[in-house]
Amino acid sequence: MASLSDLIKALPGFLLVLAVIFCAPAMAQPQTTGNGFIASQKEKIDDIARQTQQLASQLEEKAGDDTGLVQIRVELEKLARDLLASGVAFRPRISEINDRLEQLGPERAEGEPAEPELVQQERQRLLDEKAEINALIGEAEALSLRINRMIEQIAQMRRDLFTSALSRRYDITAALSPQVLNELHTDLGKAYDTVASWLRFTASFKLRALLLTVFFSLAAALVLHLAGRRLFGNLIDPDLNEAEPTYLSRLSLALWSTLLPSAAFGILLGSAYFFLDVFGILRRDIAELLWPLFSVAVVVFFVYRLALAVLAPKRENWRLLPVETSAAGKLCLLVGVTATVTGFDFFMNRLYELFGSQLSLTVATSFLATIVVGVLLILIGSVKPFPGEEGARPRPWPIIFRVLIYGFAAATIIAALFGYIGFSRFLSQQVVVTGAILATMYIGFLAGGAMSGDGAFAGSAVGRLLSRRFSLDATTLDQLGLVAGLATNVAVVLVGAPLILLQWGFHWAELTAWTYGIANKVSIGNISFSLVGILSGLLVFIVGYFVARWFQAWLDSRVMARSRLDTGVRNSVRTAIGYAGVVVAALFGVATAGIDLSNLALVASALSVGIGFGLRNILENFVSGLILLVERPFKAGDWIVAGAVSGTVKKISVRATEIETFQRQTVILPNSELINAAVGNWTHKNSLGRVEIPIGVAYGTDVKKVHAILLDIAQSNRLVLKNPEPFVLFAGFGDSSLDFEIRVYLADILAQLEVQNEIRFAIVEAFEREGIEIPFPQRDIHFRSGPSPSGAGASGSVDGESENEEDQAESG
Amino acid sequence: MKRTLLAFAAILAGAPAALAASAVNQDGDPRTIIVTEGGSQADIVIGPGETVEFCPTGCFVTMPNGDREVLTGTETIEITGGRGRIR
Repeated sequence: MASLSDLIKALPGFLLVLAVIFCAPAMAQPQTTGNGFIASQKEKIDDIARQTQQLASQLEEKAGDDTGLVQIRVELEKLARDLLASGVAFRPRISEINDRLEQLGPERAEGEPAEPELVQQERQRLLDEKAEINALIGEAEALSLRINRMIEQIAQMRRDLFTSALSRRYDITAALSPQVLNELHTDLGKAYDTVASWLRFTASFKLRALLLTVFFSLAAALVLHLAGRRLFGNLIDPDLNEAEPTYLSRLSLALWSTLLPSAAFGILLGSAYFFLDVFGILRRDIAELLWPLFSVAVVVFFVYRLALAVLAPKRENWRLLPVETSAAGKLCLLVGVTATVTGFDFFMNRLYELFGSQLSLTVATSFLATIVVGVLLILIGSVKPFPGEEGARPRPWPIIFRVLIYGFAAATIIAALFGYIGFSRFLSQQVVVTGAILATMYIGFLAGGAMSGDGAFAGSAVGRLLSRRFSLDATTLDQLGLVAGLATNVAVVLVGAPLILLQWGFHWAELTAWTYGIANKVSIGNISFSLVGILSGLLVFIVGYFVARWFQAWLDSRVMARSRLDTGVRNSVRTAIGYAGVVVAALFGVATAGIDLSNLALVASALSVGIGFGLRNILENFVSGLILLVERPFKAGDWIVAGAVSGTVKKISVRATEIETFQRQTVILPNSELINAAVGNWTHKNSLGRVEIPIGVAYGTDVKKVHAILLDIAQSNRLVLKNPEPFVLFAGFGDSSLDFEIRVYLADILAQLEVQNEIRFAIVEAFEREGIEIPFPQRDIHFRSGPSPSGAGASGSVDGESENEEDQAESG
Repeated sequence: MKRTLLAFAAILAGAPAALAASAVNQDGDPRTIIVTEGGSQADIVIGPGETVEFCPTGCFVTMPNGDREVLTGTETIEITGGRGRIR
């Protein structure tokens, strides 16, 4: 609640900010009348045209420089946006002119009375201004076309550049001459001088800034490191005593012990760079050296940590891949060296670029580095990591992995030998970086799968915490685990896929543009829909549904419970609100999804006849359900008799009503049957009801005495109502008995079985005491011998014709 | 609950922002608008009473009567008597 009051306190400020935001454009709106505005806009557009011209000439110069091309593109995109903005700025003026022209009306034709001079002049003036604006927007349009075509051209140039970088062939023999060593020596000397002079300068003039930088970056890294330890400490430091850690705990250990130290290391270097820059001691040439050095260091560190986490050479229990201990150590080393060599090559390349070294030097370094990487890859592929069967020799990698890694190694080495250094370098860098990303993603997928495994989430630390805090049961935890697993997989794809694409030469702007395109508009033929729209529609529906449910529960428990409404009314209102809530939530959802309801209406009207016929029964039941809710012939808990079904109403839904018979069988009765046919309700207005108990006594009994006994029994029962009072009916002269009937009224008809039992027991007791006999039907059969007097010719000896029933009071 | 409501409000507020511009032709005849979007120019013919969506990220439009407008991608244009009016 504290946050709510804070919110209310903050509201005026928020409104003020809003007001400023919305009013600012209005205040900043330029003077929209007069030619001053047009002139200023023209100036802007001309300026953009000038800048475009400059960029176009730069485009020629930087045709071979990928980074430069990206820079130009970013600037062009900004210009395109500016151009649109300056076009939009004309809109108020245009609509003003149009409105005014409309007010002036069309020019009068010949024969009509002439217009006043003033009107003609104004119209002409407005038309002129409009023409001017149109011409200017036309200019902007042409410029925008040019800018966008340049952007497309840049994309094409970059693709070509990438292809040619990969397919360019260098002369290796020149690169491998002894001269190269001299060049290397010279360049390293230059690098050393640069760094040393910078260090000398910084140490003598900016020592304090340097120390501050070191302090701040160490502090930042330390904070992250300590916070990470504090939060995920049990995830990074394995419990060495644990003999058999679960797969999930091993996975989370691998993930966190890779990510956290890498992040801390990255923060250390990143903040060092940042603070050097802030304190102004980062010289341009040093910056260009430091940036690649730092990025390479972070990548190498990450790859090495990842290898350590997956292979865990020193902790067999925590290993993710089931490899042998000796192989694990070897693999860690090989992976680390591969990453280092690739990183070294990358860094040296930047260094050579910086000092304008000879191409042969670059070629030589890359040649050696790629050959080494190829050899390292072969070594990794030739390790036999998996334990063999019972003392047999260790097994090698699976054949697919070996083929893949040998393939990469062979391609790298062969490309380098033939002089395709660019391609070779690209391959070896991709093996390291993309391989590392893929491995991390793979661990993430495995973790997602393990999380959704049976009971895995409940056993994890988070699961235990959740179950303690919110007292969740095992099923809920299991479902949460499924959701968490799915979310992990999605997150892995969302993070990993762009990273890999970035590695492959795509740029961030392209990725966001694609995502935007996919999310906003997917066209299939004429139909187009937006994924974001549909997802947000779904979200709105879900949220709306829960809000409706919450409102329903609130109304029921807080408002209606206290207003002493009849349960039937409460039930009806609750059900109606539930359905209305779903409908409203669905409408909101559809509207948010951007689905045009008018299209839907068209389809609905076309199909309504067919739907009406096809779904006649369902619609009938639906309407009947609504009538039931309004009319309320019965409510939940009533005992009703509908046709052959008799039982308690459990639930009235919109299509059918659930009735539970006394045998505890649930009968789903369509609502239309409850509306169209007679329904008996034992407990409609009240639960008062009459019970009849028939009883017969033997002929010859004193009926007055019987009547008195029966009346006494009925009156003395505690559940029988005094008013209407019980009644004993002398019902008739039966075949074998004098028939009586006890009729009693009960306050609660549901107690009838109990009452019937009590009365019958009492009757038997009383009759026994008084010696009154309860007869049962008897049949005497008389056999006659000789011919039948009727002479029917029947030869049967047994004639059942004399069915003389006699009530004989034979006592047993 | 409060948070849910706030999220709900945020979604409702943010959702309509991600739509394209649309043009509806109120005239009895088909009308053609010229749309310059990115590096391409296209004529879009809108039948009587038809609505088309285009231009999710901003474009230049030439109306049937020759008027030019610049759209940011959220507007709705109504074409009546060859004149485009932005709503």
